[in-house]
Amino acid sequence: MSKYFLSLLCALALGVAASAQAGIKVGYVYVGAKSDGGYNQAQDTGRLYVQKTVPGVATNFLENVPENAQVTQAMERMIGAGDKIIFATSYGYLPYALELAKKYPQVTFMHCGGAKLAPNLGTYFADMFEAMYLSGIAAGKATKTGRIGFVAAHPIPQILQDINAIALGAQSVNPKATVTVVYTGAWNDPAKDVAAVNTLVDQGIDVVGMHVDSPVPVIEAAKKRGIKVIGYHFNDESFYPQGWLTGGYWNWGPIMAAVVRSVEAGTWKSQPIYGNLKSGAAKLAPFGPAVDAQTRKLILDKEKAIEDGKLNVWAGPIYAQDGKLMVPKGGVLPRGQVDAMSFFVKGVIGNTQ
Amino acid sequence: MSAMLGLLSVALLTATPVWLATLGETLTQRTGVINLGVEGQMLVGAAAGFAATYLSGNPWLGLLAGALAGMALSCLHALLCLVLGVNQIASGLAVLFLGNGLSSFYGTTLVDKQITGFHSLTHSAAARWPVVGQFIAELTPSVYLAFALWLACAVLLLRTQAGLVWRASGESADALRMLGKSPARWRLAGILVGGLFTGLAGAALSVDYTRTWVAQMTAGRGLLAVGLVIVARWNPWLALPVALIYGLAEALALRLQSLGMNVSPYLLGTLPYLVPLIVLLLSYRASRRRGAMPQELSGVFRGMA
Repeated sequence: MSKYFLSLLCALALGVAASAQAGIKVGYVYVGAKSDGGYNQAQDTGRLYVQKTVPGVATNFLENVPENAQVTQAMERMIGAGDKIIFATSYGYLPYALELAKKYPQVTFMHCGGAKLAPNLGTYFADMFEAMYLSGIAAGKATKTGRIGFVAAHPIPQILQDINAIALGAQSVNPKATVTVVYTGAWNDPAKDVAAVNTLVDQGIDVVGMHVDSPVPVIEAAKKRGIKVIGYHFNDESFYPQGWLTGGYWNWGPIMAAVVRSVEAGTWKSQPIYGNLKSGAAKLAPFGPAVDAQTRKLILDKEKAIEDGKLNVWAGPIYAQDGKLMVPKGGVLPRGQVDAMSFFVKGVIGNTQ
Repeated sequence: MSAMLGLLSVALLTATPVWLATLGETLTQRTGVINLGVEGQMLVGAAAGFAATYLSGNPWLGLLAGALAGMALSCLHALLCLVLGVNQIASGLAVLFLGNGLSSFYGTTLVDKQITGFHSLTHSAAARWPVVGQFIAELTPSVYLAFALWLACAVLLLRTQAGLVWRASGESADALRMLGKSPARWRLAGILVGGLFTGLAGAALSVDYTRTWVAQMTAGRGLLAVGLVIVARWNPWLALPVALIYGLAEALALRLQSLGMNVSPYLLGTLPYLVPLIVLLLSYRASRRRGAMPQELSGVFRGMA
């Protein structure tokens, strides 16, 4: 009898050892569908990269998890199933992830874009505004009416950065260009995205950008109305090649893989990770046929200047909407104020709260 | 295009799915059954319509498939409350959650698909007609379809013999029985026609208006439609003005933002819900009546107590 127990114990020990060797388990929670052609697909592309490049890793995911108590449930289920790293990929997951981080100190949490840290919760984000500045140049060159539109989910710093960057980029080639902003109040309400585009086009806007979870409804509406579009999150050129100018998309894979490796090696530490054009976490999307060779060259030159540190999107002079000088010539908006962006630059029509 | 017509076209396009759903639920409730599952039926219609359009390449088939899918799901409500005698409120909620779950689950593979949709008229010859050309060109087939269905339903329900029996089923089941007719049969028709309309409403949203499918894309518009039935006082004629009030409020909220008006977008975002509510309060005050609720419906709420 005792022999039987002994062998059972051995088997159990072996099983534990085997599962430890099988590599780390990583869970991903998405607020939308992982193939949304937008925010969530960009995150999931990162997951697939981790799966491919980190030996022995096992990833799993849950889609369409709303930003409420359901995300707590989702993450607890993943932790119960053995996940040691959780990527809480949506902005509104932060309070829930912070709460769970306290309860499960042995699990590493990574939040996308968050402004808070915990001993076992780090954040990752990238300066997409650099790609938006470059897209703004394309928009400024493409617009005939001088009016660019932007469909935004919420007035949060990350989105205000994008809008300002587009305006500054557009004004660098087209000083009179304006950006008109309409908020939908939702990350994911396709019907409202379409209504927003129609409203903008009726006002004479002929290039539109967006920051909602899936750019697809905005792109489809732009196609219907025959205006140009700059993309976001993901390369969606195939939805509307004729009207596609360029855009920005995320390349999360390398950052995520580095996080997983450092957790495995025991060297992970809680910090905010910031990528940018230079690190390759934020990328400029391919040009559509509507962008001429001269504009392409200009944009690529400026991209190089940004990567080399010779061009800063937030270099002065920058004036606020009401004409107030925010950054004098020769100055640069401090990083803290960029992260907490709370104003629109001159030429943006819209509200910051 | 003039500013007013632009506002009206955004309003009409926004209102159309809600208009169709309100019309469908009005027809259901006039037979004396309430179906809270509209949102679920719309979602199933949106997913099925998008899938059919993707597979066939024909958006008309998509609208048809969406309508049929909505009707198929409404059969569950009919089974639960007409055959098994389940409380209608509970049964409707079951339909809502089932429709939401089914469409989210089976719709996952549709998310990254592209459909062609209806041909846009915004750059056609019609768009160059004076004054109203651009306005007409912006309206899409589902708006015209909704208009035709609205006229047909209102006339059939309020001006024909069959419509009279339809309404009698909602006002007095006993009277109907005395005429040797079965209220259950008319209610079955009411539920199925409601399912057909709400499924079509969902397909109009995915196939025609947004040309996209994502889970829960109706974003509460089905529940709103159930509320608008009350605002429209169960009158199919009023389904249009009531849905249009919602659409205008939404269009206005977006327009004011695009003009750079200094009001919170969240406050403006409550307009499409606030305005119908105010209309409801005013209309009830003005009529000094308890409302126009079909008599048999009040039994549903008594049954809950």
